[in-house]
Amino acid sequence: MKTFQDLVLALHDYWRRQGCVIAHPYDLEKGAGTFNPATFFGCLGKRPWRVAYVEPSRRPTDGRYGENPIRLRLHHQYQVILKPPPADIQDLYLGSLEHIGIVLRDHDVKFSEDDWESPTLGAWGVGWQIWLDEMEITQFTYFQQIGGLDLDPVSVELTYGLERIAMFLQGAESAFELLWSEHVRYGEIWLDKEREFSIYNFERASVERIRKIFELCEAEAKDCLAAGLVFPAYDQTLRCSHLFNVLDARGAISVTERESYIARIRALARGCAEGYLAKLEERSEAPV
Amino acid sequence: MKLLFELGTEELPALEAPRLAQALAERVLTALEEARLPHGEAKVHWTPRRLALLVEGLPEKQEDRVEELRGPAASVGLDEQGHPTQAGIGFAKKHGASPDQLVKKKVGEREYLFLTVRTPGRPTGEVLQEILPEAVRGLPCSKSMRWDDSGLSFLRPIRWLVCLLESEVVPVKLGHLVAGRTTRGHRFFGPREVELSNPEDYLEALRGARVLADPEERGERIRAEVRRVEEEHRVRASLSEELLGRLVGAGEWPVGVLGTIPREFLDLPPEVIEATLHEEGKFVPFSRDGAPAEVFLGFRDGAPDETGVVRRGYERVVKARLRDSRFFFENDRKRPLADRVRGLKEVVYEARLGSMWQRVERIRAICGHLAEALELPAELLDRAAFLCKADLTTDMVREFPELEGVMGGIYARLDGEPEEVAIAIGEHLRPRSRSDELPETPLGTALSLAEKLDAVIGAIRIGEVPTGSRDPYGIRRRGGAIVRLILEKRLRLDLYALIDATSDLYPQVEGGLGSREVKELLQDRLRATLRADHSLPHDVVEAVLAAPRGDFLGALERAQALAALRGDPALSELAVAFSRVRNITKDHDRAEFDPDLFKEEAERELWRAYLKAEGHLRRALRQRQYAEALRHLLTLKEPVDRYFDDVLVMAEDRKLRENRLGFLRAVTELFLEVGDLSRLVVT
Repeated sequence: MKTFQDLVLALHDYWRRQGCVIAHPYDLEKGAGTFNPATFFGCLGKRPWRVAYVEPSRRPTDGRYGENPIRLRLHHQYQVILKPPPADIQDLYLGSLEHIGIVLRDHDVKFSEDDWESPTLGAWGVGWQIWLDEMEITQFTYFQQIGGLDLDPVSVELTYGLERIAMFLQGAESAFELLWSEHVRYGEIWLDKEREFSIYNFERASVERIRKIFELCEAEAKDCLAAGLVFPAYDQTLRCSHLFNVLDARGAISVTERESYIARIRALARGCAEGYLAKLEERSEAPV
Repeated sequence: MKLLFELGTEELPALEAPRLAQALAERVLTALEEARLPHGEAKVHWTPRRLALLVEGLPEKQEDRVEELRGPAASVGLDEQGHPTQAGIGFAKKHGASPDQLVKKKVGEREYLFLTVRTPGRPTGEVLQEILPEAVRGLPCSKSMRWDDSGLSFLRPIRWLVCLLESEVVPVKLGHLVAGRTTRGHRFFGPREVELSNPEDYLEALRGARVLADPEERGERIRAEVRRVEEEHRVRASLSEELLGRLVGAGEWPVGVLGTIPREFLDLPPEVIEATLHEEGKFVPFSRDGAPAEVFLGFRDGAPDETGVVRRGYERVVKARLRDSRFFFENDRKRPLADRVRGLKEVVYEARLGSMWQRVERIRAICGHLAEALELPAELLDRAAFLCKADLTTDMVREFPELEGVMGGIYARLDGEPEEVAIAIGEHLRPRSRSDELPETPLGTALSLAEKLDAVIGAIRIGEVPTGSRDPYGIRRRGGAIVRLILEKRLRLDLYALIDATSDLYPQVEGGLGSREVKELLQDRLRATLRADHSLPHDVVEAVLAAPRGDFLGALERAQALAALRGDPALSELAVAFSRVRNITKDHDRAEFDPDLFKEEAERELWRAYLKAEGHLRRALRQRQYAEALRHLLTLKEPVDRYFDDVLVMAEDRKLRENRLGFLRAVTELFLEVGDLSRLVVT
């Protein structure tokens, strides 16, 4: 697996053979692939659903001005949802590692307990971090709840950390050294962006204006929910979630405020999940 | 017959699996006993992917059950000729018996009809099919999950079942699974499926499939490997029980992989290297002559690392982590600790109790009182208190919260703070648990005490008292630590006076409690500690704590003096005598009397004995000679007995009566200086 893009293509190839829809990143800022509507809505309701996609995940507080080899303000997750999960799901996952060129018998692979939770999405699940020679490469989660609602059936979410896996495959010591394609390095595409966004998120973002935008997005989301427009409401919820992360990176949120911000976003997410399920019941059919 | 029951799972959490395996065994064995299936030896095995139970000596079937059932009264069940009536016949039929099996028996005054019913025992396999699924369903998981539509929930998905009774499969059903004889080998280095012919083969068949199902064996392999490295490299391992537990639970066939730490990182503080290697419970660190050694040990699951690929992977991870740690260390060192204290204003401790900076100010105030009470160098203690929380804003503590305090000590020393101050900061969070060691130095002890007192007082003052198993502020643990510090470090201190003196450091909030509740909670911890850690009898502890005092060390000493005399008839008799005094003065709280009003000789005799004993007793108490004090109380026994024989306390004359009660009240209070002897259990 020579390049970062080869890795993505190999995963696409593997999971499309497992019946996954190959989707795309959702074009709004978000902290993790879980926030993509293909996961959030796809995991709700009864209808079977398999999807795989790359998600650029933006976490303002993880920014390091491009100076840390692996901590990034934006990293790429490869996200797979299998609903319901087949009984051989662990083998399927391990098969994907073989498929991208990791010979499992040459390495040390461990499933190490890790329960996952997203307080803002009202989502939690149970599972593992997968360690490859004691480096974390994947989060493997059996979702139990989303939007505060019990899932039936449950879904498995696989989240591969693409930079880490690529560093492993390419023997690179820094994400910025990775070959994205044969001729272009990761750093050429991302280093300047890491620097500028770190400056913005930590130093420049106007706390006052961002707070206002948060309020506006929240109001829009509420209006949409009242009108039964769950997808537009969800977009606004995603915006709120990211704006909260920016405020957090600016150090503008006190401990007590944090709780209330999270509760506000979770209420919106729950509203979206409930509205969506109500629609499914009306139609007894899931839109995607 | 021998039973094997194996629950095949996806990877279980390392520290919970052994607990669950044990619980499974207990539930199954209890159910077997309840089902009249006696059994021999039982063994529990587990790996991350299986819980297994082997039980020997099971019978082929249950013992028959013989029950004697009571039916209607004989007068109802039989007619005048002694033939069964409809009621009698109905009773027999209901239990599948014929009416001629009915017998009469007397119960009390009346006669009833009885049936002896024998239920034949069912085959063991049949009963197991009911017992085993129930035993699994009832297992207490810390967090259970669903994975399919069977409605089953468990800690992690269950993927296969094996159940063999001797060589026969018992087709136990659980969710969508039916038990068979097929288990699975090691995920990467064993055959996928392994057929078991009978329970006896279990461990050996799995060994052949690269699985060590016996956790003891895995633990022994890990320890042996650690010892080998210790000898070969002349180093000492830091292998805590928790790390060992994590390693035992991390795989089915642990094989050591030795890695090397690049020299450039070895000048980091040993604590930092250790925390970095321990992260997520992965690697065993070593030291040589107190300094970090260049080797570390990881455990690969399944096979030796012949190509060195895994070792290089481990080394890459360790190097990357140490690089992060060194970055944190160097970054932290750019500012002295003292400069960071102001930053604590930005760190919220608790909304109602304010910032960490405010907490530090309170700790300093408490330390001020402690320095005086314990005669410690006030300036040094204050400096340590001032700096003790500053490491909270360091990158290192943010990354490794377990290094809180430890880093403060290291950074303080590098900043050139006095050595006593650096040590006190490094020690100030000890003990972190019930089994942790206490600080070694007096300053560290005082700082630790102040830090915990502030946490406990603060939480109670905002109404956060522990209830049931809920104790979000760790008040019980901290309260226990306060008591341990005072008793084990033998601190002469009036804790209650200290609590009163620092009372106005805390805010008045709605729903908040006061100093009284703080004292009650600490007294509760004292009670628990005296009983559990000092093995003092319940009644002795109650006697000593009946009159609450802030001198906790004194309470221990009084209790020990009482306990030493416990069982001595003289003490029992004294206790009985005192009980009479105590009972009669229960409602009289003024120790006022006029000796001139004494009329009886017995009154004057007790008065003289009291005066004599009081002087000696108070001197003994001042010198903390509690056994001696108790001896002086013993001199009162006979005069008290004579007093009650000769004197009518509740005299008609009010003045006389009040005077006598007032005097006995004074006697009571003298006794209470040592303890409420009426609480002693007299045998």
